[in-house]
Amino acid sequence: MVDNSEYKEAIVSGNIPKAKELAQKAVADKLDINKVIDTFSEAIREVGDLFEEGEYFLPELMRSAEAMKAAMAILTPVIAEGKDKRTSARVVIGTIEGDIHDIGKTLVASMLSAEGYEVYDLGADVPIDDFINKAIEVDAHLICISALLTTTMLGQKKLIDSLKEKGIRDKYKILVGGAPVTKKWTEDIGADGTAENAISAVKLAKKLLE
Amino acid sequence: MGGISLTSKPAILDLVKKRIIILDGGMGSLLIDQGLPPGMPPEFWNISNPENVQACHKNYFDAGSDVVFTNTFGGSRLKLMAHKHGHSIEEYNKKAVELVKGICPEHGYIAGDIGPSGAFLPPVGTITVEEYFRNFLEQARYLSDAGVDFFVVETMVDVKEAEAAVKAIREISSLPILASMTYKKTKRGYFTIMGNSVSECVKILEEAGADIVGANCTLGSDEMVDLVPLLKKETNLPISVKPNAGQPQLVNGKTIYNTTPQDFTRDIMLMIEAGANLVGGCCGSNPEFIKEIAEKVKG
Repeated sequence: MVDNSEYKEAIVSGNIPKAKELAQKAVADKLDINKVIDTFSEAIREVGDLFEEGEYFLPELMRSAEAMKAAMAILTPVIAEGKDKRTSARVVIGTIEGDIHDIGKTLVASMLSAEGYEVYDLGADVPIDDFINKAIEVDAHLICISALLTTTMLGQKKLIDSLKEKGIRDKYKILVGGAPVTKKWTEDIGADGTAENAISAVKLAKKLLE
Repeated sequence: MGGISLTSKPAILDLVKKRIIILDGGMGSLLIDQGLPPGMPPEFWNISNPENVQACHKNYFDAGSDVVFTNTFGGSRLKLMAHKHGHSIEEYNKKAVELVKGICPEHGYIAGDIGPSGAFLPPVGTITVEEYFRNFLEQARYLSDAGVDFFVVETMVDVKEAEAAVKAIREISSLPILASMTYKKTKRGYFTIMGNSVSECVKILEEAGADIVGANCTLGSDEMVDLVPLLKKETNLPISVKPNAGQPQLVNGKTIYNTTPQDFTRDIMLMIEAGANLVGGCCGSNPEFIKEIAEKVKG
């Protein structure tokens, strides 16, 4: 029997040691790991809601995401051994070349890996070819391109154009993000979507990869 | 030494008691319009394109700014190192001050500008308060040596970083310090993205040694109006505001800010009524905005 409140509390309060301990206990007690992960996921969504409501800010969000990641690091291998494998899509994420702002990108990366995605975070100031090579190398499902400046945003378009030239655009879903990114821009450059914040980005990623 | 007369402009903290002070407007967005390439730190232009930087400063003074901020927003070691320009910190900062000095009118003021390091404390990043302090101490020293009238710490999202910057300046200088945070509007009111409230920021910055407190960037002018009474409630220090000219939008490859100088100035006048003492603009604003404000303020 999973005590939901204890599991949720560990994530919502961002208690990393507690989240680890509960994950280890769940494995030792041979609990239904999928149910445990569902409970953790529910908690991280609650954290997302608190962030959107202005109750939580960056530090709380990061702490909760780290707690979730710590638990998932213990739970995911167990799931991988079992027969009912959860989908764990591969994501390549980074801030485009010329742009050193990486807080938004890091947050999205943390939230995605907290949700169990296999995330390849390339960091900031990432050349277009590095995005593409990594996506090919890991056979990614999703590419996330961040840009905080209106000038570096053009790199998002160049990356998509480059994928088109290589004839591999449709192999990937592509999300673009950053303060100046609008819906219109997303449509103009042929990306698959954008989101207001890290929480919405994760929701959108899920929807796109269904 | 006969023949040399020093100008006798009042200290900025005396002037602010007498009248509204006009600051400058956006700098980065102006330099980008003039061809600053993406990813190039604006400070690099202090050396490579000094005439462009200086022309921006001059345009602001001509438009009616009492104060111009040096082009050193990203001029600290941590920030320049992230841009792989860590080798030229002293040069970028000193040259920046010289550029303003070259065109500064007799009654104009030079504010040594210090922006965020780009690094975060745990759990978001791995920096320490001590590293923040050393980072800002170095930059403040170069600005102070080059000769500024006062210091500005601006666009800070973490009050602990702003506090470290103010304390670092205080360590080496008794010049006035303007400390300005960047707030976002949430359903529960105004907070930095780190969750610092207006009241917390004002209290900490005042204790650290700030002489003027304020808000800049992130919020458009219309969104910043309601923030001023909150600042006013927390302090007797002069209040500074530098909102954005709305939110940036990319149209046909060009960045457009949708607020007009007239709308912007209307909001600025509301902020003055609410208690703001130093007013200017941040991203997307340009000398036209300052001209409009100066005309309304100075009558």
